[in-house]
Amino acid sequence: MQHPAITIENLWFAYGGARVLDQVNLTLAAGEFLAVLGPNGGGKSTLLRLLLGLVRPGGGSLKVLGQDPGQTGGRIGYLPQFTSVSANFPITVLGAVALGLVQPGFSGLAGWLSPAARRAEREAALLALSRVGLADQAGRRLSDLSGGQRQRVFIARAIVSGPELLLLDEPTASVDGKSRQELMALLSELNRDMTIVMVSHDMSTVDGCVTSIACVNRSLHHHAESRLTPAIFAQAAGVDLKATCPVELVAHGTVPHRVLLDHDHPDCCGGTHRHEKRDEGDAP
Amino acid sequence: MMDALGFEFFRNALLAGLLASVICGVIGSLVVVNRTVFLAGGVAHASYGGVGLAFFLGLPVLPVTTAFSTCAALCMAWVTLDSRERSDTVIGVLWAAGMALGIILLDLTPGYNSDLMSYLFGSILAVPQSDLVLMAGLSAAVLVLAGLFSRGLLVMSFDAEFARSRGVPVRFLHFLLMGLVAVCVVLVIRVVGLILVMALLTIPPFMAERRASSLAGMMLLSAALSAVFCVVGLYLSYALDLTSGASIIAVACVGFVLSLLLPSGRERIAS
Repeated sequence: MQHPAITIENLWFAYGGARVLDQVNLTLAAGEFLAVLGPNGGGKSTLLRLLLGLVRPGGGSLKVLGQDPGQTGGRIGYLPQFTSVSANFPITVLGAVALGLVQPGFSGLAGWLSPAARRAEREAALLALSRVGLADQAGRRLSDLSGGQRQRVFIARAIVSGPELLLLDEPTASVDGKSRQELMALLSELNRDMTIVMVSHDMSTVDGCVTSIACVNRSLHHHAESRLTPAIFAQAAGVDLKATCPVELVAHGTVPHRVLLDHDHPDCCGGTHRHEKRDEGDAP
Repeated sequence: MMDALGFEFFRNALLAGLLASVICGVIGSLVVVNRTVFLAGGVAHASYGGVGLAFFLGLPVLPVTTAFSTCAALCMAWVTLDSRERSDTVIGVLWAAGMALGIILLDLTPGYNSDLMSYLFGSILAVPQSDLVLMAGLSAAVLVLAGLFSRGLLVMSFDAEFARSRGVPVRFLHFLLMGLVAVCVVLVIRVVGLILVMALLTIPPFMAERRASSLAGMMLLSAALSAVFCVVGLYLSYALDLTSGASIIAVACVGFVLSLLLPSGRERIAS
């Protein structure tokens, strides 16, 4: 029997005093494509960092691919936020992808590689690049690529080690609309081979290609459905409901729109129990 | 130029300048791509405490300063370990504290300290043979360490967050890099002085960054650029009777401005 990709029980985490995440429970089966939505500061990225073993939970248990976080090495592919790499770094596309093959621990630091190992790395990197459709760009400097292309290079770096689980932190932030669609199509395709967890505050990306949605705002609510209902939307938007336009979810195209919400909206950012009830009522 | 080479002090100066160029090319590139220029500045200035300590104790300057600035660098590495962005205040304090300590120790040292300025602005034209040997040894050590851990340094420099997620010991690499910066700073103090170290650590790598397509290429190109600045600067210093460190930096700054005006190779091809 296969392990669930992720098992979280009664997890909490605090930076200093206040709990950023509290009473989080989640069981994610292998092969799923989970979108993690929620307001900024709601704990989405913290959840991802916990899964990667970059921070330790305050309490509760957490297993990733049946192992403790941080022990999984290349079994997890990770796409950090767009801003984590400086734009001018002197590196070729192929070189950047090959860095995804670095070994954990001190053995990964050594500068010297045998020619055979070097060749194997090169081939693996080229294969990953062809999966994201950028094999012809391998020799170019990374900084010469467009934002969308660069994001695909980082996806290639994440999948070059053949991971079983792909963790993506805001993959569609700072790329244009067309690249966004291409990225989502690519991720759907990758989902055939691996479980994907995608953190996003852009709800337009959650359109059909995901298999379930988790709303994170200190607590976590896992909805086993791939479409946004008004209730999930309200939960995901949290206190920022007025700042986000729900029409984006159903409107495709370029028609300008503006919807003013009712001010009398007592439960748009209320308690989780209320949302659970609404879920049942609003689910299609 | 040829007549200048006839003097031993000039040959020593040239060798010291070339050694500093190689080391600045390698370490400066790492400093620039890791965005730790301010941290390197802190190490450079704090190392003045080591100069003061050496004079106060009556010990040889280069070894004592190396030990002192390595300690200062490891302190700063520790402070900046988990939040590189939020620790600039502490770096600023250590920066000033090191310099103040150096000056106070020099005040307490009996006798007239004519050498004080030479550590601030360089005294490349007075590098003795013994210092040159020590500089060569330290340079070799820095290069070997950087080469040994080059893969790790590359992975961390490119994307520390990703490196951490893959279990790469980024904390160790951070300490290693700061230690290398400390040794590099001490080597370069002789050439341009600790106040001007920053220019040699940042200008050539900045010029090289846009034109190289690998970190190793960036290091090579910035070492070559540094060497050119050192040779031209030294010659001008000899010919026009100027302070050597300041002449080298002046040449580097002219090169910097020219590189901003000239398009990089790739941009030329594109247009």
